[in-house]
Amino acid sequence: MIKYWFEDFTPGWTFENGPRTLTAEEIVAFAREWDPQHFHTDPERARASPFGGLIASGWQTAAVAMRLMCDGYLLETSCVGSPGIDELRFLKPVYPGNPLRFRSTVLDAAASKTKPNRGTVTFRWEVINQNGEVVLSMIGKQLFLRRPAA
Amino acid sequence: MTRAKKLYFEDFVPGLVRELDGPTLTRDEIVEFASRYDPQYFHVDEVAAKDSPFGGLVASGWQTVAITMRLICDAYLVEAVSHGSPGVDEVRWTRPVRPGDRLKLRMTVLEAKPSRSKPDRGTVLHRWEVFNQHGELVMHMQGYGMFARRPT
Repeated sequence: MIKYWFEDFTPGWTFENGPRTLTAEEIVAFAREWDPQHFHTDPERARASPFGGLIASGWQTAAVAMRLMCDGYLLETSCVGSPGIDELRFLKPVYPGNPLRFRSTVLDAAASKTKPNRGTVTFRWEVINQNGEVVLSMIGKQLFLRRPAA
Repeated sequence: MTRAKKLYFEDFVPGLVRELDGPTLTRDEIVEFASRYDPQYFHVDEVAAKDSPFGGLVASGWQTVAITMRLICDAYLVEAVSHGSPGVDEVRWTRPVRPGDRLKLRMTVLEAKPSRSKPDRGTVLHRWEVFNQHGELVMHMQGYGMFARRPT
């Protein structure tokens, strides 16, 4: 059931949810499948790395953001996909047990000039740790259908 | 203990291009990935996806990114002396990826700059492009990686 349409995402709109915590086992399992660098898969060798211990793949942190977004509001929207992401930054390492919060802020909303039934919303998506530090930041665009006329 | 030959900053020469064969995605793999990380209906529900703008089930864009990362790891990253990545720019999902699509990755070194403040490392800018079996570009992105310089 769609509750939120293109018109609901106006600049300044924000949403925050979480926390989601990654265990060492989850970090290693994700990395073995998608990003098997030793500081993501091997706690022993990770200790000798510049990070000083096991850290999550940045893509896992991005996946946490995506899942929190889905659970928080996206599945109740008229979203029909994303053309892409800009300025994805891995700002701080994510260690096992760090409680991660997700924050979404609307930067811009533009109705489509060619397709009258939709518009593009530009968001800043951030993942924040227990110290209030932004560990991952990205600018994402998504397409939403416009609210049908009553 | 012996390890495979290590790759250093100096091995990433601008203009270097490599192409790699990727996996063929199954319906189950698409649904499984999306069920965990991106459960939008057009990624997890084959029936409902028919009425979506995509006309059928499509892979989460994050899955295409994750597959790219795995191919990069297998191609060179796990053999490189890497200090991690500050980030990625211009991720673009240019076409849907559907069950049965066979992916291919093309990697191009765009830039390699020694660090000014840390003489033991440098930053490499790569462009990664993913194509389907029809040669159509389905995703591209540009990513920075920091690598140790070869010890003299």
